[in-house]
Amino acid sequence: MLASDDARKIQLVASLAGESDNAIEPLLKAWREDALYLYEPTEGARVPVLLVGEKDDNDGRAAVRVDTGASLVDADGKSLRLVAADLDAVEHTSALRRAMKGVLDLLDVASPDRKKRLQAIQTIGFSQDAEKLPALQKRLDMENDAAVKRSLREAIAVTRLKDPAANVKLSALKELQELHSLSSYDLIRNAMRDAETVGDKQTAAAAKLALSAIDKHKSTINFFGTLFRGLSLGSILLIVAIGLAITFGLMGVINMAHGEMIAVGAYTTYLVENVFGAGITIPFFGFSLSIPGIHASGVFYQSYFLFALPLSFLAAALVGIGLERSIIRFLYRRPLESLLATWGVSLLLQQGLKLMFGSNNVQVSSPSYLSGNWTVNDIIFGWNRVFVIGFAGLIVFGVWLILTKTPLGLLIRSVMQNRNMASCMGVRTERVNMLTFGLGSGLAGLAGAFISQIGNVGPSLGQNYIVDCFMTVVVGGVGNLAGTIYSAIGIGLVDQSLQQILLNPVLGKILVLVAIILFLQWRPSGLFVTRSRNLDD
Amino acid sequence: MLKVNQLVTVGALALGSMVASAKAADTVKVGVLHSLSGTMAISETSLRDVLLFTFDEINAKGGVLGKKIEPVVVDGASNWPLFAEKAKQLLEEDKVAVTFGCWTSVSRKSVLPVYEKNNGLLFYPVQYEGQEESQNVFYTAEAVNQQATPAIDYLLEQGYTKFYLIGTDYVYPQTTNLVLLEYLLSKKVPIENIGGGFKKDDSGKIISAGKYTPFGHTDYQQIISEIKQFAAGGKTAIVSTLNGDTNVPFFKEYAAAGLTAEIAPVVSFSISEDEFRGLPAKQLVGQLGCWTYFQSIKSDANKEFVKNFKKWLKETKVPGIVKEGRVTCSPMVLSYNGVYLWKAAVEKAGTFDVDAVRAALKSGLSFDGPGGKVTTQSNMHLTKNVFIGETKADGQFKILKEFKDVYGEPWLLGKFKAQ
Repeated sequence: MLASDDARKIQLVASLAGESDNAIEPLLKAWREDALYLYEPTEGARVPVLLVGEKDDNDGRAAVRVDTGASLVDADGKSLRLVAADLDAVEHTSALRRAMKGVLDLLDVASPDRKKRLQAIQTIGFSQDAEKLPALQKRLDMENDAAVKRSLREAIAVTRLKDPAANVKLSALKELQELHSLSSYDLIRNAMRDAETVGDKQTAAAAKLALSAIDKHKSTINFFGTLFRGLSLGSILLIVAIGLAITFGLMGVINMAHGEMIAVGAYTTYLVENVFGAGITIPFFGFSLSIPGIHASGVFYQSYFLFALPLSFLAAALVGIGLERSIIRFLYRRPLESLLATWGVSLLLQQGLKLMFGSNNVQVSSPSYLSGNWTVNDIIFGWNRVFVIGFAGLIVFGVWLILTKTPLGLLIRSVMQNRNMASCMGVRTERVNMLTFGLGSGLAGLAGAFISQIGNVGPSLGQNYIVDCFMTVVVGGVGNLAGTIYSAIGIGLVDQSLQQILLNPVLGKILVLVAIILFLQWRPSGLFVTRSRNLDD
Repeated sequence: MLKVNQLVTVGALALGSMVASAKAADTVKVGVLHSLSGTMAISETSLRDVLLFTFDEINAKGGVLGKKIEPVVVDGASNWPLFAEKAKQLLEEDKVAVTFGCWTSVSRKSVLPVYEKNNGLLFYPVQYEGQEESQNVFYTAEAVNQQATPAIDYLLEQGYTKFYLIGTDYVYPQTTNLVLLEYLLSKKVPIENIGGGFKKDDSGKIISAGKYTPFGHTDYQQIISEIKQFAAGGKTAIVSTLNGDTNVPFFKEYAAAGLTAEIAPVVSFSISEDEFRGLPAKQLVGQLGCWTYFQSIKSDANKEFVKNFKKWLKETKVPGIVKEGRVTCSPMVLSYNGVYLWKAAVEKAGTFDVDAVRAALKSGLSFDGPGGKVTTQSNMHLTKNVFIGETKADGQFKILKEFKDVYGEPWLLGKFKAQ
């Protein structure tokens, strides 16, 4: 197999396709990935070797001879440790790699791994190679998995499009039409053009029918996809804005530092992830604070996010309470000053984060259960998005429970309605203010934990969201939690629909803002107006 | 009393000017014009660092024409009008012999009139869109045909038939994608196999190709679902000129939609080793990059360069230099090459005079840099090697292919005609 001639090599590799030796697959894979090395002993011919096992201190690994399968030993019979960087990888050209891929694909069609099967079947189907039809047919008879079966039918039909016989072509087109096969769209179009040029009206008409069926399927996907994306964007808006709906909406504090509370939550998630991993050292205003890691792995490591959620709530809530105690409690009657003061705090917090974590973004890796997706009828539901939507629902429910079903909620509502009157009735308004502000900030922290899963975590993270937060709260109607929910979902849906229709992310966003300006001209107090007998309102 | 004071002052002044003139005799002032604060600071401080390292390296070997290089570092602060002001200061007050600087195209365009008016010389090190050839700028940067079109050649060779163009909305991605559109059409890729959408003017001429998002965009759901449908039709590659941190939400959404480098690889023109310090490299494994230098090049010159730079980082006392986890990347090496090419040109001309140095540069000087041999061209660009690499989990690239001695060609719009 290590023949010197390229054409000979390709032929040899292709001939492996029929063999059923378990060694073929790892060997070809290693070759393709440059992990097959040539070892040149001091005397004798060069031998191809694979490196196996763990690296030792010198980066060396044990070597196994490919031809005999035995470990490589030196003259004394001691096993040799070789360093990958010192060895020459066995060469390959792109033509050779393609030949290897062809063989591997055919092997993969029978692979026990469902994902691999699907991918191999698709690759073979698109090559439209009639020689591979029998293999696909055979597999179709054996296959039990519905998705793989569908993909096999698709691959067979696509391959048959190339068949010279008109009736085979027609039945293939009919099959693809029934399957709504998105992936074969281009190939059907090509078949249609070919048919048109040779004047085969029947095939052209059938192809047209298949294309329009797929187009229809596409618009269904886009419709539901947009709905889902709108809902997920709305949920994110809702999660980031619900904290502000409490601190700004209920308490009347124009809290410009709300965005930094989100950032605090996101960085807490980052810290928790690192504690579960290798630990982290952060410069803490001159000192170096070293947090050891617990080197978790597997499922336990993946679960870091579940621990990060309550912790980011707590961290942001504590920062919020500190902020309320030190600055905001003096400014309840002066909303404009609270704007300036919290703006200052926001800059301070940003600089603080920069000093502690550096001005670069930090990397938060998503746990595996948040990075997959669930595909129904070609519509993609990303796990992270499903999770966000579900969690938004939970948070709203939780906030509703706290505000309406607990004694604290009763106190919060009374203080927010009339601070002086509540105080006269013996409510400790100071304490209630503090807890309410803490609750609002904590919710922002939770939002930060989610944002770390879908976007960037950096010191200026909050700045990207603060405008969206205020927008959502103001459109919903200040002081009304239900309004915030409706406006968040509404803005999300409108934004995503416009993006889908205009196919332009910038224009969509601009139109949403224009719509909001016009809407606020019409209803200055937002969707839901909170009416009160207060003379100030 | 007053008199004595005055005398002392005069004396001090005289002494000071003597020291200054003595100093001027054996040093030459060289400007460094990069953003050390603001949004671009993350990328541009690395270039400042590598320039200071290069100056120290040259000074240790005796300087240029027997004079030590005296760097004048100014901060453009990611503020484009400020770049022009600082350039003016460098040229008119400090009277620098040459400037190394600028990252974004808009900063270069903003300082260009200043350099042309004062007949200064600027070395520009970062991949750019071309369509420019000033006599006062030497472009060590990658032209579009030294990065984007070789990457397309590689993808075509690998059998990719569909291409989705996406970028950040500013001049570099817009121009690059227009060139790429013409290039793909000239390679007989049908226009329906080029994704991202087109914008046409009233006469039906395409004025913008591909999908664009603003700086700092976070919501890539719709775009990814469009890519997924586009890629369903077989061998698709995504050509990305997305800049900076928008890559994180883009790649997270990409992974969540079940796309991988095997299904539809992304070739990015704006992600180098240095950018990986702020990106989750693990999620980008297998994606492609194309530059005229990778840190993983296995040559003695490169090993030496990386070793010396790391050693310098450890020893340097310049405040504000990050010492941990540093890497080298293409813009850094192009800055490094620029300094040595300037030195060679000055030595050939025998003077620091800009006109003489320019003439020497145009005559075709060569330098064996970390990325291989580079040669200056008469159009103020640089012939260099181009590499295609695949991202590894440690944020380095595995080199897949090398194009030798690619001629830098700035005027590419309208050059590739579909037959």
